[in-house]
Amino acid sequence: MMADGHEDEEKWLAAGIAGLQQNAFYMHRALDSNNLRDALKYSAQMLSELRTSKLSPHKYYELYMRAFDELRKLEMFFKEEARRGCSVIDLYELVQHAGNILPRLYLLCTVGSVYIKSKEAPAKDVLKDLVEMCRGIQHPVRGLFLRSYLSQVSRDKLPDIGSEYEGDADTVTDAVEFVLQNFTEMNKLWVRMQHQGPAREKEKREKERSELRDLVGKNLHVLGQIEGVDLEMYKETVLPRVLEQVVNCKDEIAQFYLMDCIIQVFPDEYHLQTLDILLGACPQLQPSVDIKTVLSQLMERLSNYAASSTEVLPEFLQVEAFSKLSNAIGKVIEAQVDMPTVGVVTLYSSLLKFTLHVHPDRLDYADQVLGACVKKLAGKGKIEDNKATKQIVALLSAPLDKYNDIVTALKLSNYPHVMEYLDNETNKVMATVIIQSIMKNKTQISTAEKVEALFELIKGLIKDLDGTPDDEVDEDDFKEEQNSVARLIQMLCNDDPEEMFKIICTVRKHVLTGGPKRLLFTVPPLVFSSLKLVRQLQGQDENPFGDDTTTPKKIFQLLNQTIEALSSIPAPDLALRLYLQCAEAANDCELEPVAYEFFTQAYILYEEEISDSKAQVTALHLIIGTLQRMHVFGVENRDTLTHKATGYSAKLLKKPDQCRAVYACAHLFWVDDQENMKDGERVLICLKRALRIANAAQQMSNAARGSTGSSTLFVEILNKYLYFFEKGNPQITVASIQSLIELITNEMQSESTTPDPATDAFFASTLRYIQFQKQKGGAVGEKYEPIKA
Amino acid sequence: MVVANKTTGQSSSVRPNRLESSDQLRSLSLSLSLSLRSIRIPRPYTMPSRRRTLLKVIILGDSGVGKTSLMNQYPSMRDHGESYTQFCFLLYVNKKFSNQYKATIGADFLTKEVQFEDRLFTLQIWDTAGQERFQSLGVAFYRGADCCVLVYDVNSMKSFDNLNNWREEFLIQASPSDPENFPFVVIGNKIDVDGGNSRVVSEKKARAWCASKGNIPYFETSAKEGINVEEAFQCIAKNAVKSGEEDEIYLPDVIDVATVGQTRSSGCEC
Repeated sequence: MMADGHEDEEKWLAAGIAGLQQNAFYMHRALDSNNLRDALKYSAQMLSELRTSKLSPHKYYELYMRAFDELRKLEMFFKEEARRGCSVIDLYELVQHAGNILPRLYLLCTVGSVYIKSKEAPAKDVLKDLVEMCRGIQHPVRGLFLRSYLSQVSRDKLPDIGSEYEGDADTVTDAVEFVLQNFTEMNKLWVRMQHQGPAREKEKREKERSELRDLVGKNLHVLGQIEGVDLEMYKETVLPRVLEQVVNCKDEIAQFYLMDCIIQVFPDEYHLQTLDILLGACPQLQPSVDIKTVLSQLMERLSNYAASSTEVLPEFLQVEAFSKLSNAIGKVIEAQVDMPTVGVVTLYSSLLKFTLHVHPDRLDYADQVLGACVKKLAGKGKIEDNKATKQIVALLSAPLDKYNDIVTALKLSNYPHVMEYLDNETNKVMATVIIQSIMKNKTQISTAEKVEALFELIKGLIKDLDGTPDDEVDEDDFKEEQNSVARLIQMLCNDDPEEMFKIICTVRKHVLTGGPKRLLFTVPPLVFSSLKLVRQLQGQDENPFGDDTTTPKKIFQLLNQTIEALSSIPAPDLALRLYLQCAEAANDCELEPVAYEFFTQAYILYEEEISDSKAQVTALHLIIGTLQRMHVFGVENRDTLTHKATGYSAKLLKKPDQCRAVYACAHLFWVDDQENMKDGERVLICLKRALRIANAAQQMSNAARGSTGSSTLFVEILNKYLYFFEKGNPQITVASIQSLIELITNEMQSESTTPDPATDAFFASTLRYIQFQKQKGGAVGEKYEPIKA
Repeated sequence: MVVANKTTGQSSSVRPNRLESSDQLRSLSLSLSLSLRSIRIPRPYTMPSRRRTLLKVIILGDSGVGKTSLMNQYPSMRDHGESYTQFCFLLYVNKKFSNQYKATIGADFLTKEVQFEDRLFTLQIWDTAGQERFQSLGVAFYRGADCCVLVYDVNSMKSFDNLNNWREEFLIQASPSDPENFPFVVIGNKIDVDGGNSRVVSEKKARAWCASKGNIPYFETSAKEGINVEEAFQCIAKNAVKSGEEDEIYLPDVIDVATVGQTRSSGCEC
């Protein structure tokens, strides 16, 4: 059915165009031969095509545009005729002989345009005549197009001030009256359409009306362009007259569209000065009109205007724009009881943006808007409408965008209340927006109180709301949001240790509620943030003001408990690293028992929790490395810890790992800058032990694969020998190095050895190093001299 | 009524002063024999013709870039100087510049008369709504355009990015016979704003885009200060004139004998 209708319409349009072109062709010939009579005859025939009722507005417009273009040629011909001495008045009479009324009026408007141009009569008289004559067409579509033609040809001939058609004192009034009258008539035609034809075609009719709307709205555009319409005239005549039509037509489509037009075509300054009148019309509109969109658009315009220049702001204050808009919104929401939540939130969101632009210093206004919104949302529970939650996010983002500072938003007491209405998912989205704002603006959040408020806002990311973990969360999304929380924790700081400690305690309190999945992300930044504070305090006198002051000891205590929380996951690898970090920090604070405690914790984890052999290797090397740097331990503690570490080394699963851990342990007995920690003998014991293990490893691989394994471990041990030799360990002798070199050389030449280029290269460069040291001369050169490589 | 005879003689009597060279006659006869109702023939430049003196220019671009202001500012009353030897603007409509945004609804045009090489042209400049919701009837008025002006705001990257859409949309809707060579002019407006400090689209970038689209002439203007507006419109007018040299000629497939008889005979070459 629909397709057929569409095809038919195409056919009718094609036929219309064909008829139009044919007549236009003869009209051109008449014009070329200056044959006025034929020109009128064929142009009238051509225009008869516009008498059709079969076309939709869209198609009719196509036909109309073709006729329009042809009429421009005719108009030029009329002008030439007038120039040649033909009386325009006669022409004006002559065209009225056309048989059909529609062509007659099109021709009349065309000549009328020339008539005004000729200035043989005042523009206002000709226009008045034309706008009256057009009443002859009462068919909505034909009438609207005809009047739109009149509007277009008269567009540059209005007796506006400064125009060459300017008339007497009331010239602007004449221009305005003409446009208003045309507008009124067009609006009537347009509204009447709604009530014509059968009810079942309502939808089609509304579609057609919607297509035609710009013809009506165009008049408002023309009014907006009239130079002479100053604020006074706008306020006294134009706006009241237009609104009168809008209100009285009682038509939903017309009211919504025309309100939109008024807001868009007239300047902001006028709107501000006539807010009462414009807002006063809103409650008079039909209840079904989408006023929220109208008002939102008005506020958006005014916000942009306020943002354009600070110079205009006094205007807003002078007219008390905020309270007027706020009142109007309240009234509209009250009047439209069925307004969906999205409508309510959209209105408040627009009002908030408005007040943020116009009164950036009045936070109380912003809070007031949020408060009003909360009131309207009250009792509705979590909002599930997708569009409404999006609007709430927009509402809550507005203060962040404006102030680029969450701290300001935290002062808005109603802010968290609005967030309450978000569902969990959107709550998270909003929390992410807040964190991003902080990151982007590098906002300093420097008191525990603010941190508390902030964490209240972003709690959707901090813990499982409603106490139940959401299993449907995408793994990557989860990681990303938790990483952003981690970044946020690092941003919270205050130079005052007392306050910083409070901040840490606050963060800790919230973070620990996060459950195993989140702790992995949030504990490390918390630990490092605390250690930063420790470093700040370190070196300061301890406890100058009694027990209440923040001391590293206190922080370490807290850290211990914080890291312990990871055991619930469990995450021994991570916990071990953090314990070691803490131990090192305690070392720097000269707190031996604390450092020892952290090591103990790390060792317990190593023994009881870390079972994977690769993880053990990594953990052990971390332990050895950290322990090597510790200087705080007394002999006994150090011996205990070192003894344990070497013990772990020998118990690793794989021989090569054992070997490497053991020779690493050698470093535990030789610390460069500490005289009391240079135990050459025990270094040598470690290295020898490493050699034995290397030997065993080689034999094992020999047994397993029938060929000797690589000599890499030996070369590595040789390097250790050289290191301690160079450091002056008396136990490392030239002879021992010499024999190790020979051992490796033999190994490599052995036929059963599988060639390994990497080891060869390693060994070669080690030998080159020895050579190099020799050539250096001086003490080092002397030392190396006896070694024969 | 008789069906049009497919001889050149008769068709030239229909439009006696449109055709001169025998090449054109041949092409016309060929078209007729293919029963085409609409054909394109380049016409001799000096030939006087009423339809060719009317030139249609369409201004397109995003909402708020200053299309209406540009149209209203042209031609300004400023001192014209040397550049005025070719163009002489006979009609001055000098509008005060309005700083405030006023939306345009539907399509609106103003006409200007310009003289170019001793001929008088009427320039029909169509200003359009940048906001889609104010273009409810569609864009049938694109048809028959002789030049299209694409305007963006140098302070808005989005308005520049959208030029491509506007251009393509125009080519689709107006469907000119030779889209490759259809004359466009690009205008970067609002160069005055904040002393140029808020500018985000560089001249280089804009020129590169124009070059990539077949060397579209490019102008930077300030409708507010009246900078370069006239130069831009001179170029627009010149391009429209060139484009207007070729026009669609309609020939009816049915010719009224009586009318043919009445046709004024002229110096026909055949």
